[in-house]
Amino acid sequence: MTRVWRAREFSTLAILAGELLFFVWYLWPESGPHTFWNQGNLLLILKYSSIYGIAAIGAAIVIISGGIDLAPGAVIALTTVVIGYVFVESGWPLLASCAAGMLVGVGAGLVSAWLVVRVGLPPFIATLGVLGIWRGTAFIITQARFYDLSAKLPRNWEVAGVSIDWLGPVVMVVCAVVFQRLMTGYQWGRSILSVGGNETAALFSGIPVARVKMTAYVIAGLLASASGVVLAIVGGQGKADLASGYELDIIASAVVGGASLAGGRGSVAGAVLGALIFGVLRNGLTQIPGATFYDRLIVGVAVIVIVVMDQVLTRRDTGA
Amino acid sequence: MADALRFIDVHKSFGAVRALSGVSFSVTRGEAHACVGENGAGKSTLLKILAGTVRPDRGEIEIDGARVDHASPREALAGGVGMVFQERLAFPNLSVTANIFAGREVTRAGGRLDEPAMRARTAQLLADLHLAVSPDVRMEHVSAAHAQLVQVARALAFDCRILVLDEPTTSLTDAEVDHLFHVLGQLKAKGVTLLFVSHRLPEVFRLCDRMTVLRDGRFVGTFVTADTTPDAIVRAMVGREPPERVPRPTPAATGPPALAVQGLSGPPWFEDVSLEVRAGEIVGLFGLVGSGRSELVETIFGLRAPASGTMAVNGREVRPASAREAMRAGLALVPEDRQRLGLHFDLAIRHNLVLPRAVKAGGRRIDTRAETAVAEAEVAALGIRTPSVAARPGTLSGGNQQKVVAGRWLATKPTVLLLDEPTKGVDVGAKFEIHNIIRRRAAERMACLMVSSDLPEVLALADRIVVMREGRLQGEIAGSEATEEAVMRLATHDTKAAT
Repeated sequence: MTRVWRAREFSTLAILAGELLFFVWYLWPESGPHTFWNQGNLLLILKYSSIYGIAAIGAAIVIISGGIDLAPGAVIALTTVVIGYVFVESGWPLLASCAAGMLVGVGAGLVSAWLVVRVGLPPFIATLGVLGIWRGTAFIITQARFYDLSAKLPRNWEVAGVSIDWLGPVVMVVCAVVFQRLMTGYQWGRSILSVGGNETAALFSGIPVARVKMTAYVIAGLLASASGVVLAIVGGQGKADLASGYELDIIASAVVGGASLAGGRGSVAGAVLGALIFGVLRNGLTQIPGATFYDRLIVGVAVIVIVVMDQVLTRRDTGA
Repeated sequence: MADALRFIDVHKSFGAVRALSGVSFSVTRGEAHACVGENGAGKSTLLKILAGTVRPDRGEIEIDGARVDHASPREALAGGVGMVFQERLAFPNLSVTANIFAGREVTRAGGRLDEPAMRARTAQLLADLHLAVSPDVRMEHVSAAHAQLVQVARALAFDCRILVLDEPTTSLTDAEVDHLFHVLGQLKAKGVTLLFVSHRLPEVFRLCDRMTVLRDGRFVGTFVTADTTPDAIVRAMVGREPPERVPRPTPAATGPPALAVQGLSGPPWFEDVSLEVRAGEIVGLFGLVGSGRSELVETIFGLRAPASGTMAVNGREVRPASAREAMRAGLALVPEDRQRLGLHFDLAIRHNLVLPRAVKAGGRRIDTRAETAVAEAEVAALGIRTPSVAARPGTLSGGNQQKVVAGRWLATKPTVLLLDEPTKGVDVGAKFEIHNIIRRRAAERMACLMVSSDLPEVLALADRIVVMREGRLQGEIAGSEATEEAVMRLATHDTKAAT
């Protein structure tokens, strides 16, 4: 089975590689340094992709469990606002502020989990409502202001000689490795796949379905707030309208990475690769004159093309 | 003789519906015991209580003399009760190994899954069951029959003492049933107690030592197989004599056939099929699952495009490109899977009954009064037991749902009625009623082509039996001369080898 998942991730990786090659070729300069293929720009891509890449790991887990989470964008924004409030207004130390931000994620995840598992709302409706609640809370706290963290953070901050810009990519890779292992090699991950594959069968197999689903939403909330922590520190702001519309990029990353909205299929590593595919696409398009306006359109078409390609390949694979 | 399993005065109600009222019976250790009854008799509720998904209102269950109270499926499994449900209770996205160990994975220190250990144990279990399936293949690529046996393997992986099988043969061919029964026989010899639930009485008689009949949530009796007959069991299940068969005249022998199919091919499912059905005639199309029968009737009904061949209704050539065109040509198809293809569960029975008729007529405005009148007429004509035509199909029993499926197509007044497994999964009483509905329509000169895997049903209904194997017609037998052996020989063996 591992071989099958890996095969799917290889195809995502191939798309990413193809995309990189395209931009390297298309943006090849007539003279001077390459504006796309250089260390600074690649770090920029990683930095921005990691914001929704981290959350996409959680989104993939929820989707594999057979649910959906529309709240991560709002959770990211609320996290930055809470960090800004306690760090700037209340003068908490940075670490304590970030911990407060992570609590936002846990709380948000618990609320979604409670609505889906205990109240029995369809996940789409539950998290759509929750999305509004957290975004709204962020606006109420900020009252049209925003918190400027950058003023209180060191300029050109480096930790152990490495720029703070690397925070996002590092968190994303660490989370991807940890959750990929949990999903493929541990009982918890197997139960997520089981519940997503056939919830009734999971129940009859003695799998604690309610608890498994709750963990998926709580982890999604936690990872969304981890995105928020990174955004607050790297972006230097706590603001209610940050990460607007990210929920769609986050879900799209998971889906392009192989997660099936029907549940039971997908991978954490794939979701991260999916996030990178969109990060590269966005970055490359801004460097092609006039293409910026086509940004959203091209991203939309890319989602459909990649998922259709996947379905065609899967169909051939099953020999149906 | 010790009792492996005892039900003592078990009661369960769902709202106002009494699913079980005071059921008591016991199953001897090491025997194969059947639990039979019509749909709604309470069998599935009893199994759910045993499996731990439903709690009884009152009453007790004893296993090996000790009282048990299964609060969850996990406890039931731990208590040595293994369940084999219909194949839908598998994880299509997981490997065979992962399916067998779902919820009870073998782990190493630190909680990591021990894949090699699980794989080795799976390979061993599959070998014990003579099952040629790789432990690594994903369940969605495993055939229905093998999926059933994988569930048996799953139960065995946890050393169950009581194996409960709920309708395990619904989607199996006869050869596969033989294999399953062979395995079950071996388990029984090893001392495993079997509790077998099935609608198929011949199988119950073949496998089980004793059988308990439930009716309307009550215990009717426990019978020793050697001392009873299928007729006696049917009487106990239905609680009344089966209805008289509706007599009907012999079908017309002259004039053009109502349906004529000539050289129809739809690769890879069927090839060069030619057959005729006359007005008033019931033709049984028999074949094992996968022989191309369903695909053939779906092609006749315009749902699939044939590669070659012609069709004629009442002598006029038709080539329907959609169900709508087929309906207008005078065809109707009662499809196989009523859950998936037959009914709109969100619409009232009234709307379900008139929908194909309305599509055929092609009108725009809905005449609610006329619609209700037609629906009520169908409900009365078919004996559909429903509180009102406004109720949803989900509230009806399986047999009555199936009558609604038939009714919605009969309401289109077709020349040719195609039926695909018309009584699959319905209880004995409803089966007799559906058979009489078909007989009555045939007597009214409707031509019927019926696909069925239920051999007794085909023998009881058909004027002629056409047998299909691997996409080709193997031959035809007159209903009056047909025997189970003759039909099965055509359906399974090479005709040359058989002679």
